[in-house]
This record gives sequence, C-alpha cells and structure tokens, in this order.
Amino acid sequence: MALDIDRYHAVDSLVNRWDPRFKLAVMGIFILAIALLKTIPMAVIAIVLAAALIRLTALPFHFVSHGLSFILVFLIPFLLIMPFTYPGDSAFTVLGAGFAWEGLRLATLIFIKAVSIVLVTFAVFGSSRFDVSMLALQHLRCPKVVVQMLLFTYRYTFVFLEEMRRMHTSMRSRGFIPHTNVQTMTIFGHFIGTLLIRSFERTERVYKAMLSKGYQGELHSMVRFKSCSSDFGKSILTLLLATLLVAGDFSGLFHQAVQGWY
Amino acid sequence: MHISDGILSAPVWVAGYAGTAVLAAVTMRKLDMEEVPKISVITSVFFIASLIKVPVGVASIHLILNGLVGVVLGKRAFVAIMLGIILQAIIFGHGGITVIGVNSLMMGGGALIAYGVWQQRHRFSFKKREFVFGALAGAIGTISSGTILALALVTTGEEFNTIAGGVLLAHIPIMIIEALIVGSSAEFLNKIKPDILAGQRLTQNAQG
Repeated sequence: MALDIDRYHAVDSLVNRWDPRFKLAVMGIFILAIALLKTIPMAVIAIVLAAALIRLTALPFHFVSHGLSFILVFLIPFLLIMPFTYPGDSAFTVLGAGFAWEGLRLATLIFIKAVSIVLVTFAVFGSSRFDVSMLALQHLRCPKVVVQMLLFTYRYTFVFLEEMRRMHTSMRSRGFIPHTNVQTMTIFGHFIGTLLIRSFERTERVYKAMLSKGYQGELHSMVRFKSCSSDFGKSILTLLLATLLVAGDFSGLFHQAVQGWY
Repeated sequence: MHISDGILSAPVWVAGYAGTAVLAAVTMRKLDMEEVPKISVITSVFFIASLIKVPVGVASIHLILNGLVGVVLGKRAFVAIMLGIILQAIIFGHGGITVIGVNSLMMGGGALIAYGVWQQRHRFSFKKREFVFGALAGAIGTISSGTILALALVTTGEEFNTIAGGVLLAHIPIMIIEALIVGSSAEFLNKIKPDILAGQRLTQNAQG
C-alpha cells in the first residue's frame, strides 16, 4: 500500500510550480463547483477538465489508476443498484425489478462527479510536498493545531505501517492463519492493542525529544511562499472555468437531476 | 464505511461541515500542548489498523475501530477521527473532500457514543468487565455510524432508501466482528497498560 501521495512532487509542471496557497484555495472552489453540478453534460466537461489537470501535473498513469480503484469499488454498486431502486415509473423490468432511466442518470451523474473530484484532489496534493500543502492550509487560516496534528499523523503513518508489517510477519512465521472465528478476532484485538502500546510509548519518547529541541507548540519551517503573476493567471483561469461550469448547469439547456435530490 | 463525493445533496454535506466544526471545537476545549503529538500518534495507528483485512466467510472486511478510538482517547476521539478522515480523503480519495464533514460526524459521532458506553463500566464490577464494555463500545460505535450514514442517505432523497437499508444490514456482521476485536483489545490494554485507556479511575489500579 503506497501512502506517499506526494512522491511525484518534484516533477516540473505548470501545476507543480503553482504557489500551493493559490492552488489549494482555487482548487477548493473548483471542487465545490463540481459538487454542485446536476447535469450530466456539465459533469462530463468537469471530468475532462480534471483529466487535463492530471495530464498537466504529469502524474504517472499507474499512480492515478491505483488511487481511482478504491473509489470505483464504492461507486460501481451505485450504478448497478440505483436504476432498480429508483422510485416512480420504470421503463421496463429485468427479472422482476423495474428499471428506471432516471435512476441510471442519477447514478451516472454521481459517478462522474465523484471521479472528477478525486482526480482534482490527486492533482492538488500530488503536485506539492505534503508538508508544504499543510503549511499552505495554515496560511489559509486552517487552525494551527489541526495542521500540526495532520503533519504528525502523516509522518507516523509510515513508521507504524512498517511496525505493523514486522508484527504481521512474525505472527505468520509463528503459524497464524486468520479464520472467521472468535480466536482470530481475539488475536487481532491483542495485535492492535500491542501496536497501540508500542506507538504510545514511542510518542512519549518523541515528545521528550521534541521538548528538548525547544518545541513550544509551534512548528517552524524553512518554506517561504512566493507568488508571481502566473499564479494569479492560473487562479483566474480556474475560477473562470468553475463559474462557466456552474453557469452552464443553471442555464437550463440540459436535463437536470430531479429536484428534491438537490 | 464512507460516503463518497457527489452523492449527498449540498444542504446535507454543508450541515455535515457545520456539525463537525461545532463538535470539534467543543471536544478540543482545554487541549493541552502535550496531547497534540499523542492524539496524532494514536490517529495514525488507527489509520493503518483500518488497513487490516479480517476474513468473513469467503470475503474480507476492513476494520473501522471507531469504538476503540473512543475507548482510548475519550472525547478527543472526535478530532482523531476527523484527522483520519481528512487524510483518507487526501491520500486514497476514500470518501472525498466535500464529505469530510459528514464522514467525520458519522464516524466520530459513533466514537463519542462508544466512549459514553465505555464509561458506564464504572457502575459495574465483574471479572470480564473490560471485555464486555469494550465489546459494547465497539458494537455501538459501529452501528451508530451505520445509522448516521443511513440517515444522511435518507435525508438526501427517497431514491436512496433501499441503499440505506442495505447499508444498515451490511453493518450487522461488521458490528459483531468489531465487538469481539474492540472487547479483546480493551481487556488486553487494561491488563498490560491500563493508563492508556480513557476515563480510568485510580482506585482500581492503586495496588500496582
């Protein structure tokens, strides 16, 4: 399981060079615009824009497809179930279940929007170092405590993942095979308990080390943000696109998802 | 269990953000500087523990463990879960950016309820007390989250009613597994390192 979302941050591209403060703020608005869409043509334009953004960041295909596979597992059942559970008139029946086009339309819309938002998220966080993105969040008035905890958590995730793998290897080498029974669950319970204790004791040591290096509840960074005219240019272009998406959606040119859902 | 981007209506996820902001502010009151690294470390443990696959018949499920977060962190569990949800949205695209609020309320709310259940153990005294209340916390934490998820779907529109029902049904096996795991974890922690658990009372371990 690859957890380092920022492993391709060093690639040189238009998006990677964008000042992270602008990138996060503007892309946040862009995501909001996508989330508000309720017509399929506009959602298709959104997904094309999101794919173009991924192309601009030069993230490798396997990186994006691996990330998408998680969300597809969640979304494909929607495509399969919603046409048959949609209330109201059904166009025809399959094995006794009524198939409603409106349900399929809604599920398609959900699908396209969710994938576009995930693509934009990957483009944003895949194109800057994680700590830089977090500092940018802090500049955007996200509470300091939350940013600090996110940084710590992200950092320790890698350490404890290794720890968990080691423990798992030693468990298997002692002949552990998971089954669906109470004994397996008890072992998993103890496994998690052990992991907790080890990490907890590590925190205490780390905290003392941090205090001795002068930690007073604040993290200092060497990163300095600098914005130039191209940062503004990219931001204005993105905001324009977001506005066009929402405007196209409200123009009434296309079939909108049913009221009440909104 | 997570809700994805694009499913919920705008009022529902905006309300989710509002509720999360309020609950986070309330549960973070009087936060000690010392707690910041502790909450983070526990969060990352739960974050990776949720990657563990547990076999259920022919399939396997990922653990939720929000009940155990409540049992270990008490009311600070809400923030821990919120952080986990944010990281999942950023790293995996699990859930999504717009639904961070709803997902935090759903999972973190379950954790707070689990903590409430866990605290009731002080009223009783019997041998397997920590296991029983840990298991109850695990089960109730899971099913509360499932219920909040179903509610979020139902309030979005009646076309989601069937899916909401399916979601609740799917939570029943998860609930049983979570109960067993959280129960045995709580019992284990109570034996090995009792001060890691939330809401412990000194009298119980005074002789140690």
